[in-house]
Amino acid sequence: MNAQEATAATSYGGGIPRINYLNAKTTLASWLLTKDHKRIAIMYLISVSVFFLIGGTFAATIRLELLTPASDLLETGTYNKVFTEHGIMMIFFFLIPSIPAVLGNFLIPIMIGAKDLALPRINLVSLYIYWIAGALALYGLMVGGVDTGWTFYTPYSTTFSNTYVEIVGIAIFINGFSSILTGLNFIVTIHTMRAPGMTWFRLPLFVWGHYAVSLVMVLGTPVIAITLLLVAIERFARVGIFDPAIGGDPILFQHLFWFYSHPAVYIMVLPGMGVVSELISNFSRKKIFGYEFIAFSSIAIAVFGFLVWGHHLFVSGQSPYAGMVFSFLTMVVAVPSAIKMFNWTATMYKGSIHFDTPMLYGLGFMGLFLIGGLTGLFLGALGLDVHLTDTYFVVAHFHYVMVGGQVVAYLGGLHYWWPKMTGRMYSEFWGKVSAMLVFVGFNLTFFPQFLLGYQGMPRRYAAYPPEFQVLNIFSTAGASVLGIGMLMPVIYFLHSLWWGKEAGDNPWLLPGLEWRTSSPPPTENFLTPPIVTWEPYEFGEGSGLELEAERRREAERAAV
Amino acid sequence: MAEHGHSDKFVYHEPGLQHQFSDMMQQEQSVSIGMWAFLAQEIMFFGGLFTAYLVFRSKYPMAFAAGSNRLDAFLGGTNTLVLIVSSLTMALTVYFAQKGNRHLQIIFILLTMLFGAAFLGIKAVEYHNKYVEGIVPVAGWNARAKAPAGAEREEAKPCWQAENLEGDNYVNPKGEFIWADCSLAKLAQDENFLTTAEKAGYFSNGQLDGDKFRDKVRIFFFLYFVMTGLHALHMIVGLVLMTWLLWTAFRGYYNADYYMPVEMSGLYWHFVDIVWIFLFPLLYLLGRHFVHAH
Repeated sequence: MNAQEATAATSYGGGIPRINYLNAKTTLASWLLTKDHKRIAIMYLISVSVFFLIGGTFAATIRLELLTPASDLLETGTYNKVFTEHGIMMIFFFLIPSIPAVLGNFLIPIMIGAKDLALPRINLVSLYIYWIAGALALYGLMVGGVDTGWTFYTPYSTTFSNTYVEIVGIAIFINGFSSILTGLNFIVTIHTMRAPGMTWFRLPLFVWGHYAVSLVMVLGTPVIAITLLLVAIERFARVGIFDPAIGGDPILFQHLFWFYSHPAVYIMVLPGMGVVSELISNFSRKKIFGYEFIAFSSIAIAVFGFLVWGHHLFVSGQSPYAGMVFSFLTMVVAVPSAIKMFNWTATMYKGSIHFDTPMLYGLGFMGLFLIGGLTGLFLGALGLDVHLTDTYFVVAHFHYVMVGGQVVAYLGGLHYWWPKMTGRMYSEFWGKVSAMLVFVGFNLTFFPQFLLGYQGMPRRYAAYPPEFQVLNIFSTAGASVLGIGMLMPVIYFLHSLWWGKEAGDNPWLLPGLEWRTSSPPPTENFLTPPIVTWEPYEFGEGSGLELEAERRREAERAAV
Repeated sequence: MAEHGHSDKFVYHEPGLQHQFSDMMQQEQSVSIGMWAFLAQEIMFFGGLFTAYLVFRSKYPMAFAAGSNRLDAFLGGTNTLVLIVSSLTMALTVYFAQKGNRHLQIIFILLTMLFGAAFLGIKAVEYHNKYVEGIVPVAGWNARAKAPAGAEREEAKPCWQAENLEGDNYVNPKGEFIWADCSLAKLAQDENFLTTAEKAGYFSNGQLDGDKFRDKVRIFFFLYFVMTGLHALHMIVGLVLMTWLLWTAFRGYYNADYYMPVEMSGLYWHFVDIVWIFLFPLLYLLGRHFVHAH
């Protein structure tokens, strides 16, 4: 059987296969001890959603407190804990694992035609590490929480804070190894598990994005691990590695922290860019423009991402000459991001654009990431940054990149691959409504914060001067809309599990390898090991699928 | 569709082959890339510590030289030798696994474990010595000793003439980190090679301040314990790996065609050795000439 026959046999079959990865075994142990990357991805999906909900609750509390100028809902000490825990939950336990551990885990082996990740047991271990770390962080939060900010700046965190810095620090230390092992697994898998014919330049750009992000995870995360370990030991031993009162160097902490945490913001956007590359090309039904440029711009972002950490230290007492170099390199890292934006735009040009829910999220990403990226240049500029440091401008900027970027891309990807993961379609109408609400709510929440920051409202305070109130009310109102927009998918996704229309193998009529197996896929992903004979994003004859003919038949069926 | 699902259960599998791979070659490549990526991760992990070490050493070279001179270079050197020999026995373990010689493989695993355990034993002796000398950088974690009753209180000497309390003179009622001697700072002051950080970091009101000097020496010992401690932890993990290798080798899992786990454990073992090869000169040797040349 050649590849085309193999795919033809599995392509358009409707309905849900009798045996698939979800129902092959049904005991609890078969889930908890599984080595199947798809089941592990589903368990990650549930876990990160829980952390997202917790982090979101903290966000709602922050916005409620900032509705009025006085610190009336929370006292200032509690407010410090709330924004710290919002940051820790969202960054370490939601954003960093979100796309890689859920979508990447589920899709990378399928997209490259493998039976599983190269190291399935390591994959399960990384999930358990994540659970242990998450439980420890939640424990730290229940017994009293942390008030240092997610950045753990010294000497406050090492000497003065009377909160549970050690527990939460150790939780993040442990969690780092989950991230490292996931990245390591992806690197190995992409190197060695590609199906026959799946060359490096036939990989979907989603996989390239994950290859880049895995490099950052493996090389960056250990540095934050050792840094937070040093903070925890320093608190315990009272030795001045970071505390200047006894000879330590707080700037050293900032260097070590941002050496990871700046690349980590690329961990929080590169997978999103991978998802968006898929969405833009597939929903424009057009081969992606400049495939190699998008692939290598991911690698370039990963590499340059390691060289720009100093732009977080412009006002911390770093040498001004170092500042100039870091400022320049920050401008350089904008280039590969811009290459992606231009290529996506060029891909859509004269494409046959379908405004399905995932594409709405994809377009939302482009708009929001554009604003997030450009305001990043403001902050990377050495002089302007002095004015904007530690204001709401910074808060707005990184929310545009992390939420407008990664979370929107994650939601887009989740909608896009939901039929593949579950075999069911969600309600397209409610999907579109939620995509719109997220976009509008997001802008209403965070755009006013650019203005607030520019006018000088500092971040991390529970109280503010009354003249900032109007914009803060806008922001809180927007947050309510955003919250509703983000809760809606929970409802219609759950609804679709039981009452959703059966999706069929290829609901969007697309050529990617993941659409050539059943929905949901069998445990071994493909009944016949695939052989790849087509180029990526091949919508014409070359794909070996009769996509055009099927699309015509579908239109006729709809007309009848 | 589903009826084809498990047809591959009748396909011949090589004994060590995991289900996700199609052949041994693919499995070996995967495991090998995975191990190297893990070692790259380890380099970054220790890299953060080495960075901290280099920053503080370049800021306070005399305090670090003073601390370095209190380490036992003989025991450290012995340990270096022990580890290098253990790398040889590890390499021979891999060699005999490849040759399919189970007996010699087991013997060399045992020898490697013996050297690994010897390293940890010597390390424990060194740690204990630090405890007895009162230079563990955590308050309360040192041997406690009260001053003998009725002993004359010595006249307070300036710190560059003071001697560190050892042996019978050791007095440390609360188990603190104790350090009296700042003569190296005095030397650098007299010969005018103090660093900028030292000029601010050792002095109070223009006078050498023994307490401030002690704080910088304590940073050295903190880094010493964290770095060698994490290294020792890696050695312990290595010994666990060796125990598992011993068991599997004893059961005859390895032959000339299948020895990947042995080779990978070997990579890990050599890596941990190499970390020590960097730790030894940085911690034990740098700055010894300040004491021994004067």
